[in-house]
Amino acid sequence: MAAKPGAASTTYSPIDPTNKTRPSIFTGSDVDWLRPDSRAFQQCRPAFFRTGAVNSAAGSAYAEFGNTKVIVSVFGPRESKKAMMYSDIGRLNCNVSYTTFAAPVRGQGSDHKEFSSMLHKALEGVIIVETFPKTTVDVFALVLESGGSDLPVVVSCASLALADAGIMMYDLVASVSVSCLGKNLLIDPVLEEESYQDGSLMIACMPSRYEVTQLTVTGEWSTSKFNEAMQLCLDASAKLGEIMRSCLKEAASATQE
Amino acid sequence: MRQEEMVTPGEVLGKATEVKAGKGTYVAKHNGFVYASLTGLLRTVSPPPESPDQRPTVEVTGHKAHGAVPEPGSVVIARITKVMARMASADIMCVGPKSVREKFTGTIRQQDVRATEIDKVDMHLSFRPGDIVRALVLSLGDARAYFLSTAKNELGVVSAESAAGGTMVPISWMEMQCPLTGQIEQRKVAKNES
Repeated sequence: MAAKPGAASTTYSPIDPTNKTRPSIFTGSDVDWLRPDSRAFQQCRPAFFRTGAVNSAAGSAYAEFGNTKVIVSVFGPRESKKAMMYSDIGRLNCNVSYTTFAAPVRGQGSDHKEFSSMLHKALEGVIIVETFPKTTVDVFALVLESGGSDLPVVVSCASLALADAGIMMYDLVASVSVSCLGKNLLIDPVLEEESYQDGSLMIACMPSRYEVTQLTVTGEWSTSKFNEAMQLCLDASAKLGEIMRSCLKEAASATQE
Repeated sequence: MRQEEMVTPGEVLGKATEVKAGKGTYVAKHNGFVYASLTGLLRTVSPPPESPDQRPTVEVTGHKAHGAVPEPGSVVIARITKVMARMASADIMCVGPKSVREKFTGTIRQQDVRATEIDKVDMHLSFRPGDIVRALVLSLGDARAYFLSTAKNELGVVSAESAAGGTMVPISWMEMQCPLTGQIEQRKVAKNES
């Protein structure tokens, strides 16, 4: 799958809003944090997307951000279960699961059971549910390898899969997360950075309409740091949105011929 | 019609004051722009010259045969699964010319089988399990099934198997004959457009 990169597998690093060199403070140590893959703090991993990965699903997408590999299949709109009540708008059903070999230590899929409902919250505001009454759209996300920043990659990949399935949406959803390590803000953290983080901020937003569908904050944040982190995320999401659009267009043009 | 270009969900297609939102697009209320809601080819359709609203219509046609969903007013092909005293259950397999990825459940009620003498309809003389029927979707129905109707000449049983196992030939709007045994069985037969 990694043989041929997608249309624009370039980084989508945002513009550094502060524009001044950071004081090298990292709690308890004189050494500034060095990113394992030698990226800059404001630099994101190169993004690779491919749609149409799963033939049997209505729509599907595969995303690879460094070591984080995710595949999402979308089924639907299909008949809701008989037990469900009548609904004159469509329903969305999300499921995120990890393979046993996704984490560095092999075992039962990581305890990220809340990712399913978080993915649901990120996507429910984007789908135009009035267009498929009485039916259900099922989104199944499988994390093949967890290399950090898993949920943002899942959300972006899921919105591509939904677009590939032909489900009507208000816009694509691009999602980026930022980790706070001491005084540093690291965008698109890897697993190691996430384990050291003091706080994290994840934003899922619609790049073209500039609206946020989901905002998740953990840890302690000062107001200025928070504003800076949000700006970073929104900027990066806009650029990620461009990459996603070009991937969709390329795939659609390929099927046209 | 103008040149076609590929658009993705969320791309701005124009202002609501200048273009009308067709299929695959929507109007955002807060800023009055028309956005695409599907991935596909963008087409601009000029309005008919005598209409009062002279805005061209923009529409996006999905590049995929987006597995169809039955909608009220669409003609579907279904297979009868169960016949009861007052209704028949059917599995919808095709919507218009497209087949569905996973079947939907439909119901044909006694009063929707034909247009005349609807209270004297005998369901077992109209359908048998396994028949392929062409029906019209009346409405979304209830939680369990769509409501279908065969109350038109061109709607009804399109293909059926006789008790002996041969594919039957329609004789009239009420009867079909088995080519193997010559037996006549009663069905609500669809009229072919010929």
